[in-house]
Amino acid sequence: MTFLADFDIRYSEEGDLASLKEWFAPEGATDDFPFGPAEMEEALKNWIGFSRYKASLTGCVKGEPCAVGTLFLMPYKKVAHHSSFYIMVDPAHRRKGVGMAMVRNLLHLAKTRFRLESVHAELYEPSAMKPLLEKLRFEVFARQENFVHIDGCRKARVLMEHFFA
Amino acid sequence: MNSNLTIRFGEEADQKYLVDWLLQPGVLEWFPLADLREVEDAARIWVSYHKYNAVLTSLWDGVPCGIANLYLQPYKKLAHQCLFAIIVDEKYRGKGVGAKLLRELMQLAKERFQIELLHLEVYQGNPAINLYRRLGFQEYGVQRHFVKEGGKYLSKILMQKTL
Repeated sequence: MTFLADFDIRYSEEGDLASLKEWFAPEGATDDFPFGPAEMEEALKNWIGFSRYKASLTGCVKGEPCAVGTLFLMPYKKVAHHSSFYIMVDPAHRRKGVGMAMVRNLLHLAKTRFRLESVHAELYEPSAMKPLLEKLRFEVFARQENFVHIDGCRKARVLMEHFFA
Repeated sequence: MNSNLTIRFGEEADQKYLVDWLLQPGVLEWFPLADLREVEDAARIWVSYHKYNAVLTSLWDGVPCGIANLYLQPYKKLAHQCLFAIIVDEKYRGKGVGAKLLRELMQLAKERFQIELLHLEVYQGNPAINLYRRLGFQEYGVQRHFVKEGGKYLSKILMQKTL
């Protein structure tokens, strides 16, 4: 794994929506997410909307977006101490350590800015994200068969959580 | 079966009952809501599924005494499964209202919406867990420290039933 030169991370901006749309354009790109191509527009707008709370990070190479990772902050007080997150890496910049860097920075943001106590993720099996999250000490707390149907294929969802010490 | 108990589709006007029941003493312990603003927000979303006929209201002698809904999934690849919520007015607990409402909800889910998998979230210690088990729901996960209130935590238990 070669880490990218000229890689930097900044807070996301509404304008990063265009990059997200581009990365989700290829066939199958939405397979790891609950929304499909027809529902993508609305889902991505909602996603990037968390940038207004400074809850979203954009990874850039030479100033160009290559990944977006976002904390989906909870709307109610009693559950505001944890959140889920999404991450998407530009297909052209995968397998270079971008995803790992993004999740590490999201965890830091969650802990230091939002004082979160844990962060959780929903994955559909098989998921390339699972080994990455395991390396970052995420643990599975639920597994549900037949959660998602993609092109006639039934997949399980796995819920993983990382607790800050 | 109690003949005083009937069930109809939910209506927007049922929101006020839901708010009242959520605010009854001790009830919010079992929900993620902390104050009136959050209760009204959650009740609005809950009852909004009446547009799809996915809310059922139980009546005791014609008076609303419980509400259950299906949180129909907005995404196609998830549309075969859904989460639900249920509440019974404290004055009518122990009369079979919850069981009847939930049975009708399962039937509605299966027949009208072709739901294959119905699931729920319940907090550790909630006596409703016994009802869910009795009706065939099985635990598939536990999320620790899900609710934090007054420095105390409660776990969220995830349960499901294949219809």
